[in-house]
Amino acid sequence: MEKNDQALIRAVLAGNKDAYGDLAERHGETMFRVAYRITESESDAEEIVQETFLRSYRSLGEFDARSDFRTWIYRIAVNCALQLLAKRKKEGAVPITEEFDDEVSGIQLAQGGAGPERLLLDKEIEHRRRAAMEKMTEDERVAFVLRHLEGRSIEEIAAALGVTPNNAKQAVFRAVQKMRRALAPLWRAPLLGSRPGMKS
Amino acid sequence: MKHLTEEQLVEHYFADDAESRIAAETHLRICRRCEQAYQEVSNVLAAPAPHPPVHMPGFGRQLWKSIQSPLPAYPAKPRPTWFSLPRLVVAGACLVSLVAAFVGGSHWQRSRKVPMEAANPALAKQRVVLFILDDHLDRSERLLVELSHTAGDKRVPNGSLQADSLQADSLQAEARQLLPDNRLYRQALASGDDPMMSATLDHLERVLLEVANSPDKLNAADIARIEREMKTDTLLFQVRVLRARNSSQETKVESLSKGASI
Repeated sequence: MEKNDQALIRAVLAGNKDAYGDLAERHGETMFRVAYRITESESDAEEIVQETFLRSYRSLGEFDARSDFRTWIYRIAVNCALQLLAKRKKEGAVPITEEFDDEVSGIQLAQGGAGPERLLLDKEIEHRRRAAMEKMTEDERVAFVLRHLEGRSIEEIAAALGVTPNNAKQAVFRAVQKMRRALAPLWRAPLLGSRPGMKS
Repeated sequence: MKHLTEEQLVEHYFADDAESRIAAETHLRICRRCEQAYQEVSNVLAAPAPHPPVHMPGFGRQLWKSIQSPLPAYPAKPRPTWFSLPRLVVAGACLVSLVAAFVGGSHWQRSRKVPMEAANPALAKQRVVLFILDDHLDRSERLLVELSHTAGDKRVPNGSLQADSLQADSLQAEARQLLPDNRLYRQALASGDDPMMSATLDHLERVLLEVANSPDKLNAADIARIEREMKTDTLLFQVRVLRARNSSQETKVESLSKGASI
């Protein structure tokens, strides 16, 4: 019978080091996914996952047996990601993306269809999306990923970031604002033009 | 019209609860400006994010292999040895306390009971008498009720009475059992200061005699006659009154006994 997390933790704390391998097997992929979405870098995500499992192993003695291990390790992963983002910023990592002009009209293309126009639009969207992500603070970035891509509640995000729910909500909002400022011009003109008969 | 703020639009996009969704949806249906703004937010958030690379199964295991070597194993907790000296000492102390508590309790109970009974034998006797009398009156009450029902239920249209012979037999048998006891109690209480009890037991004895000494097959006419002549309805009422009085006396005596023991 498959042991649950609590049983595995008890086994590790009782001296069975290998039981931790089962925990890594169970939660490793999830933590990698979160780390990748925050950093958008495979090597950084792998570094974060390693650090997460190392830290959690060392702190396992402090783990409250009544808590959920997944939530606990999730918070550790978010902390590791935040630290890595701060480190990268400090190192002055050169952004992949270049600055863009909010009012560039040449790339205001229709959403539908395929072919070269669509490919060009997708490329531009990706370029602007990454630029917007880089403009976000670490907290905004993590809050945005957890809310938008991971579907976490405001309370969970607040707990992961160690802030109040209201601050977590504001972080999500500011992140969306930055994303909107970067991407909205791409749709604005065709969208309005394509809906002439809308109600007012 | 009050338009939705940018924050409200974002909140609506992520809204989990139906109530806030409905409120915003209602506004969006009637406001073109807000609907366009919301569409923009939706388009922005629908922009595809890069998918995390998918690992081969066993990623977690590989991850563990890559980090496990520098990690020390947690020290194994020593197994509880039930027969180690400290545990034996604790167990022995518990056993001694248990025995001491048992012996002490028994001794205390004995020392409390003896003086109570010795100090107030009258109370103890009264409790026994009340208990026995209550039982006797209870059985007598049931017999009188049966007698009354037999006479009342078996009345036939032509006025003659046909008692169930089996029921009559059981009534007689019960009366014969109650009679000697009743005599004993009446004689014992005759010299006492409870005229109501004496009178009732006297009345009851006459009824019991009548039922017990009737011909072998007690018929309905006999029962009706006994009921009428011996006024068993009145007797039934008296018995019930006495039982109620006994019950309250029993409670009183019990509380007195407890008071004596404290």
